[in-house]
Amino acid sequence: MGFFTDSLLSALDLVWSMDRELVEIVTVSLKVSAGSTLLSACFGIPFGFLVSFNTFRGKRLLITCLNTMLAFPTVAIGLFVYAFISRRAILGVFDLLYTQEAIVIGQTILIFPVVATFTISSISQIDQGYRKTAMTLGANGWQTAAVIFREARFGIAAAVIAAFGRVISEVGISMMLGGNAKGFTRTITTAMALEYDKGEFVLAIALGIILISLSFSINILFHFVQGRGKE
Amino acid sequence: MILYQLKQISQVFGSRTVLNIDELVIEQGLIHGLLGPNGAGKTTLMNILGFLEAPATGQITFEGTAVDFSRRHLQQLRRQVVVVSQRPVMFTTTVYKNMAFGLKIRGFSSGERRRIIDESLELVGMRHMIAAQAHKLSGGETQRVVLARALALSPRVIICDEPTSSVDLESQQAIIKLLKQINEEKGISIILSSHDRFQTTALAHRTLFLDHGKLFNGAYENMFSVKTVGQEGQDTLFSLNDTVTLRLPMDIGFKKRILLDPWRIELLKNGAPHAPGNLLQGKVTQISQGKNSIRLVLESEIQLVLMLTPEQYHTHMPMIGSSVSVRISHNAVSVL
Repeated sequence: MGFFTDSLLSALDLVWSMDRELVEIVTVSLKVSAGSTLLSACFGIPFGFLVSFNTFRGKRLLITCLNTMLAFPTVAIGLFVYAFISRRAILGVFDLLYTQEAIVIGQTILIFPVVATFTISSISQIDQGYRKTAMTLGANGWQTAAVIFREARFGIAAAVIAAFGRVISEVGISMMLGGNAKGFTRTITTAMALEYDKGEFVLAIALGIILISLSFSINILFHFVQGRGKE
Repeated sequence: MILYQLKQISQVFGSRTVLNIDELVIEQGLIHGLLGPNGAGKTTLMNILGFLEAPATGQITFEGTAVDFSRRHLQQLRRQVVVVSQRPVMFTTTVYKNMAFGLKIRGFSSGERRRIIDESLELVGMRHMIAAQAHKLSGGETQRVVLARALALSPRVIICDEPTSSVDLESQQAIIKLLKQINEEKGISIILSSHDRFQTTALAHRTLFLDHGKLFNGAYENMFSVKTVGQEGQDTLFSLNDTVTLRLPMDIGFKKRILLDPWRIELLKNGAPHAPGNLLQGKVTQISQGKNSIRLVLESEIQLVLMLTPEQYHTHMPMIGSSVSVRISHNAVSVL
């Protein structure tokens, strides 16, 4: 008990004193997570919008595939991306392996289905009446799409927040594609795993406190945004 | 002047034909009422008239020009017709921004938009709600703002799909009054669908009745569900609404509904309760005068509407509360 209390107090002290190494790890984590969230939003939202807005053959199959991709293990995605960016692979010339960019690519693949399926779900929930109303008021296709997007904005924002929550806490991709290099690709989760291996619990607990706080904040934001949408 | 002319229009969803109209003419400047039960095809017809969906077959002319349902032409046509749906949708923003949406698309300047919106809201008595959140308005308020939003665009036609179905009685009367005012003052043609035949016949210049996707003359009055209950010689016995039995020399096959033409139901003189044919006795509960007709509502086992010429009325002089006999012959019956 004394060991745990001592470690917790030391961890809190680390957080309070804004330890340089701790800040560096958190910064890398936030940077790669924000990058992958931004990229997945750029691809996932328009993709989800197109799928939801249009009727085409194979639409249900595509949505089923996206839903299946939600459950992809991070290590499988890590391995998949590794096969493309390792030195001898097709994209090896870009020297991406063990860089923050590699983590961003892997994480983007991980959360693209999250953003896309949440977007599809949000737009599907928007009453067909909005589309009809926009059209009868004289809107063209783009203007009608803008109306639908505006009405689904809270659901789409919730999709992006949920995606960020997923990547900030993942470990497989960051470890496999980032390599856990100190100061470059060491993220909160990979640093925690390393510190645990070393038996150094203080930094691990300090990072854990930050990660839980971040997850908690993201959840509060998620529920707030979803609540706004239901008002 | 003819506004719409529809010829051989049909609409098919899957394997089901939901609309099948041989010919329909809608005249400019009038209020047309569209009556019919649920699933009759009213909303589908309104969507076609509002250029929101293309018919499967047939031809439509709008103001004398054949309608081309390609995307490029539709937008121009839609700018002349506004459809107010059964469950009106307000965008989740203010009343002002809702109203400004269509005007902005049409390129009105900010000052013009403000003036038009003020005028339209004033007409429906909702100017004080200009800054309110539109999606939080009550049913009656929403309907009025939706009408103002349509009115602001100065369309040639406003199509209202059951505009009074989800509002209280007070709002219903306000909306009916508004529609009449819009038609009279602005000359905008109005097409409205409803279940309320009395409300519709009172408001509309012309009433159309739609059932199973087909148009019928009449005002959705004297429509009854029937079933065959027996045979007597060459005649078949039919039960109307399980209360009245008619003996008619016809077979209705598998059809379930008939319409009794109010003009063809014969009012008999008092003291003729034993005359041959399908006789029905009842009390007169309503008498109203039209341009060249007198409308009688008769309460017996079923509610029956009769239309009389002024001459016929003066011959019989039925009064409210008086007992009368009527005869229903087979030429008054249309199978739906």
